[in-house]
Amino acid sequence: MASDCFPPFIAAQLNYLVHQSTLGVKVENVWSGSKSYPGVLDRFTLLIPYCLDYIKWDVLYNAEFPLCPPDVIFAPEDEHFHPFRLRSREGGNEMEGAKNSLSDWNHKDPTRLCALIQELRDEYTNYQRRRAGEVDDDRLTFEISTILSREGIEMHISSGLDKPQEVKFAVPLVDMNINKMVHGCPWRHLQKIHLQVVYPVGKKYVSAASAPRLKLVSTPELKALFSVDDVKLPSWVDGMCMAEYLPHLEESLQGQIMEAVALIDIRRHFIEALAPVFGRPVEADPVFCRKATVLIASGVFTFLVHLFIPTQFPRQQPALMLQSSQHFNSQGAPIKSSLLTDYPWSPRWDASQMVERILEFLVDESLNFKRYCNEAQLQP
Amino acid sequence: MDDLPLQKIAISGPTLSSLLQRVSSSPADADGLLFGHVLPLAPSSLSDDPSSASAAADSGSSASASAAGALVATVTSFLCPGCPLSFSDPLGRLLLCHSQHDRLIGWFSSRRRSRLQPSMRDFNVAASLASDPSLSFPIAASASASAGGDGFSPRVFLLFSTPPLDSAIHTHEYRAFQFRTATETFEPRSVDVVNIGPRFRGHYGNFSPNSSFPWLACDLRGSSMMQEDGKGERLSEMRRAAKCQDEIDLIAEDFPAAKLSRLVGPEASNYTAGLEEMYKKMLTRVDTLAGLVEASSAQVLEMEQHNSKLRAEVAGIKRVVDG
Repeated sequence: MASDCFPPFIAAQLNYLVHQSTLGVKVENVWSGSKSYPGVLDRFTLLIPYCLDYIKWDVLYNAEFPLCPPDVIFAPEDEHFHPFRLRSREGGNEMEGAKNSLSDWNHKDPTRLCALIQELRDEYTNYQRRRAGEVDDDRLTFEISTILSREGIEMHISSGLDKPQEVKFAVPLVDMNINKMVHGCPWRHLQKIHLQVVYPVGKKYVSAASAPRLKLVSTPELKALFSVDDVKLPSWVDGMCMAEYLPHLEESLQGQIMEAVALIDIRRHFIEALAPVFGRPVEADPVFCRKATVLIASGVFTFLVHLFIPTQFPRQQPALMLQSSQHFNSQGAPIKSSLLTDYPWSPRWDASQMVERILEFLVDESLNFKRYCNEAQLQP
Repeated sequence: MDDLPLQKIAISGPTLSSLLQRVSSSPADADGLLFGHVLPLAPSSLSDDPSSASAAADSGSSASASAAGALVATVTSFLCPGCPLSFSDPLGRLLLCHSQHDRLIGWFSSRRRSRLQPSMRDFNVAASLASDPSLSFPIAASASASAGGDGFSPRVFLLFSTPPLDSAIHTHEYRAFQFRTATETFEPRSVDVVNIGPRFRGHYGNFSPNSSFPWLACDLRGSSMMQEDGKGERLSEMRRAAKCQDEIDLIAEDFPAAKLSRLVGPEASNYTAGLEEMYKKMLTRVDTLAGLVEASSAQVLEMEQHNSKLRAEVAGIKRVVDG
């Protein structure tokens, strides 16, 4: 067998699912179930984002029976999840409700798998919501009833043999389109921030309910603009409920995001101020302005300086990294310094003064770095 | 009220092995039907607890016995067309002709290299089978006693798989379930593989097939595609077989049973030659028949391979393998 790969009709559907849909599905594992063509892949495990975690579903095609739609095996703990359940009509064997992504399956249509997974995920959301609603805990019942109307909220019940039962909520926060606020935004997916709230399922007759575990989670790309790890969550007062807690949090988050967007311009200003002193930057991040690289020559010693500008700039100073353009290590890679952040800095300086002080620091540091490069190169 | 729990599912060693052979030789995933019967568990004379054994034996109507959870489903035969979705559509709707499910007790599904856990489709098919009232049949012993009291609809489900990871050892895995309509779950059941031998003499009658010869037209529908209709050929084959039978009868007529009496006594030696002649002719016939069967099997195989090639073309596998 030449190489392991998917037959075209599966490849088209899988590519569409992974690259075109907004679900953010990942493929974990691929293998073949065919007897005659053991190198032709036709089954795979999908990691589907749900409630700030992933659910794992096995999708089984049959490469040799292209007209058959795929079958899905859900996670072992979801043994009661039965989507596309047919209901039999009274007194007959005719089945009703049979209209879903599996009816009139067309293997040539690349969007079909995506539609199937999307529909199954919606069913799964409803299933978990129903299960959470059935939990025998007064506080949870109340929380669910007050928060259910929030759009996009997801719930998940987790229980293990040695773990106490918990209900996890993923609450979408801040109803604003961050993508639109960033000029020239490169993100393909809409950036979102979620609050994860984990409630332990209370034992009956326990009066003092403990506070839920709270955690802010954002889409990974948002880090270029705004790090949710820097957000200090308001404290959860005893007897509080989510409906009370969320408005304050959202308000403060909104403010912080606006500020983060405003900081882009300050960083841009700083990068622009580099030009008169260091010459035009060799490279700069034009969207978030988080990175700039300048070329410096000290005598015959030429080196690049990478400036990594934090989201908290100007409160935090940029981290500098020096990279020689003349010294290489044994693997042929240019020799670089470690990140330098220990140099004089004040957020109150204006941009040109910041650049001047960095230049002063670099004049001294270049000598150290040259010595360091020479030593590193001499080592075998 | 036909959701009685099974205690176990019995299958004879040869049936299980031929089932395994069938599913493992199919090109892809396969499913099919299981035939057999459901009986209240015979009171075991080996029981340590005499009261329970006698209670089960005394109960005239088996309803009480089966209510105590002592039903055994016995698989006697199966039908496997060797392809996925052989009797249902992707949504789990059944495509069975109603005259063709005598003693249908359940179904099986085989998926190569997958987790041994019922899938979405398994659930929907099982639910359809269990909820179809026309498939329900009376439990064998209670048929006379309590007419229509206890029925059993096809709820047995056997799941076959091979391990998801490649391994040097060829392994078949299987699990048996009973589908419960009340809870809508698959409940695992133990499989009792009954082997032939003195210890199992008591089971001797259990494994005689009691379903009529399964229908063969199951694969003529469109979704399994590109099956060429071999009806014309089959008819001529049947005509030929009938002709052969006539010929055999003709030969046998030359030697009616009355003549057998002459085999005993002094004139016997004269007849051995005639008898040998008859045997020779019959052997020739049998030989010809065997040859015909072989030739037709080869044709079926050729057709299968042709179909598989066409399917691979539709799937674009050829391009993948060659390229």
